[in-house]
Amino acid sequence: MSKKMIFLLIGALLCVGMVSAAVAGSVDWKQCQGTEIRFLMNKHPFTTSIEPKVAEFEKMTGIKVNLEVFPEDQFRNKRMIELNAGGSVDGYMIMPGQAKLHYWKAGWLKPLDDYIADPALTEADWDVKDFFAGPMKGSSMDGKQIGIVINAEASLLSYRKDLFERFKVKVPDTMQELEEAAKFFTGKEVDGKKMVGVTLRGKGAAATSQWVDFLYSFGGSWTDAQGKSNLASPESIAAFKFYGDLLRNYGPQGGTMLHWSESTSIFMEGKAAMIFDANVFKSLYENPKESKVAGKVGYTTIPAGPAGKVPHVSNWSLAISGTSTPERQKAAWLFVQWATNKENVLGALMAGVPAGRASAWNSPDYKSKDATPDWTAGSLKSFEIGQPQWNPPVLNVPEIRDITGLVIVDAIEGKDVAASAKKAAEQMNKKMEM
Amino acid sequence: MRTAPDETTRMKTVANKISSFVDRRQALVYPAPAVIALFLIVVIPIGYNLYLAFTKWTIGLGDPRFIGIDNFIELFWDERVLNGLKVMIYFSGLSLTLELVLGLLIALYFHREFRGSEIVQAIYIFPFAATPVAVALIWRIMLNPEIGVLNYLLTSIGLPGSLWISSAATVIPALVMVDVWKWTPMITLIVLAGLKSLPNDPYEAARIDGANTLQIFWYITLPLIRPVLIAALMLRSLDNLKEFDIIYTITQGGPGIASETLYLYSYNVAFSFFKAGYGSALMVVVFLIVLVFNVVMNRMRLSAQDI
Repeated sequence: MSKKMIFLLIGALLCVGMVSAAVAGSVDWKQCQGTEIRFLMNKHPFTTSIEPKVAEFEKMTGIKVNLEVFPEDQFRNKRMIELNAGGSVDGYMIMPGQAKLHYWKAGWLKPLDDYIADPALTEADWDVKDFFAGPMKGSSMDGKQIGIVINAEASLLSYRKDLFERFKVKVPDTMQELEEAAKFFTGKEVDGKKMVGVTLRGKGAAATSQWVDFLYSFGGSWTDAQGKSNLASPESIAAFKFYGDLLRNYGPQGGTMLHWSESTSIFMEGKAAMIFDANVFKSLYENPKESKVAGKVGYTTIPAGPAGKVPHVSNWSLAISGTSTPERQKAAWLFVQWATNKENVLGALMAGVPAGRASAWNSPDYKSKDATPDWTAGSLKSFEIGQPQWNPPVLNVPEIRDITGLVIVDAIEGKDVAASAKKAAEQMNKKMEM
Repeated sequence: MRTAPDETTRMKTVANKISSFVDRRQALVYPAPAVIALFLIVVIPIGYNLYLAFTKWTIGLGDPRFIGIDNFIELFWDERVLNGLKVMIYFSGLSLTLELVLGLLIALYFHREFRGSEIVQAIYIFPFAATPVAVALIWRIMLNPEIGVLNYLLTSIGLPGSLWISSAATVIPALVMVDVWKWTPMITLIVLAGLKSLPNDPYEAARIDGANTLQIFWYITLPLIRPVLIAALMLRSLDNLKEFDIIYTITQGGPGIASETLYLYSYNVAFSFFKAGYGSALMVVVFLIVLVFNVVMNRMRLSAQDI
């Protein structure tokens, strides 16, 4: 072998070495070996999709991850209490639109910009620009990134496409058509079951997340130009009334106690022709083990009201606790980065979690395996036209949601909506904190 | 290892001193661990709660700020306090009455010899022994008007279904039903123990005098068992007046606020709205109600024992 050949060979080997170094990236994933971190998670399809993979991360990094998962309401309370006590929580899921004002003010959100900018801590191909701009902006405070988007959520009208075809009913595109379709199916015997037209959340505060799309589409809003409550405006009252009437007249019995779990159960039992709820629940509807309607569901955007189609877009993010120690925060960042990398977000999308990354939706792998293109189209359309503000623009979100929820309950029970809304607006003006 | 003689002597002296201190102050020393534990887990939290009740504090935002009795003034104008009181009286009145009456009747039934009585009693105790949240979750599904088993059973025998917990009109009776199912066995157990300890002489005398069963129950059993009944009621009311697990798990106070007891409202204010100051003030009111109720019951129990 000539000297030249040997040089060439060495050169080639070096190149291969460099290429593989680039693939492995700039981050030393073992840098926090031996650290133990604790994350509080909502019982959400994203959590379900990431949980089985955590062992891989632990093996790769030597970091021990304790994921604690709770149902949503308990999760929120638990997270608050734990963060207030300080110390042992290193990261958590958060809906920025729900809690970021409060959490930021309390110092519970660690700004992530320095991590993102540091090549020793963040891989170049993690690609921060790949995330949807809207939700990422929503996950920032005072220009600082305080959470990394794990999904984007919009509410869709999901309907039994088999029944709509069988009975030749038009898929609703306006609120009026929604009411007509709901009326048509209510009381109909289908396959030995008595149907209801539509199922919606009706349980007070929990219902506001879906009702808000009706509020906006009817031209109403949380607050007026002066920052006072706008719940008692004619448009807002119309939204309360339409929502309440729809659920009372064409919905399941006991509408005032329907949270998403009850509402989706009824739809999955095949007892409702339509449901309006978050697109993320596709993973429930289409799961043949739990759902009797898997494969029979069509998806479309919210029907247009007097003000057009105005859905809201919300999202969950992963945040790092501002009260944790620097060493654990660094380990937590490695976990957040890993959980939100392209591969894991695509994996979650494949499992039905609407992704917050453009690359996942555009991936040929997803496109070729997409069994519900109408869901994909409806979700992307909603993200495009949606409002990022879906909660009352106040500091004490849960309390104002609770006040609003009482009007929704009154509307479902057929009480005097105008009077109830007026009372709620007074309460809201008295109690809202900015 | 051997210790020097003078060191051994010194250790002996110390030991002697300690033991003589313990001997002299037995009344102080022996209960001390329990008193300290009680102080840490009862007195301090109650004291802190009382302090918070006079402050304005949103959890996580700054420190509690002293505002005097403002919280207690606000409480008077708060419609949900009035609602909470009404719900509390309705729920507790109905459930305590039913539990006491049923508990007594079932105890009388068990207070006889019959075949398999031990097995029946063991099965009967089950709801009392089960974890409240777990059984409440099961009840929540059973009580669902659309997919619950209760309406399925009712309609399959030709009866109309009920809205159960999904209607403001029926939510409290439905919750009372669960509470009665869960807690009547406890009353039965206490009353049964009381019945077994009753003297036999009055019964023999009554039978010789020709009293019938109803008369024996009314004039002998009931007066004799009254202190036990009141004690059972006191024990049960302590939990019942601040019933949380069952109501929170099944309805979270809904529909609307139709099953929101004062205690649940105080929880919501403190832990859902994060207003710890106002929530603590509400908690103080619940505490006073439970306290007054039990002082009255205790008086009744003592006077019943005097007879």
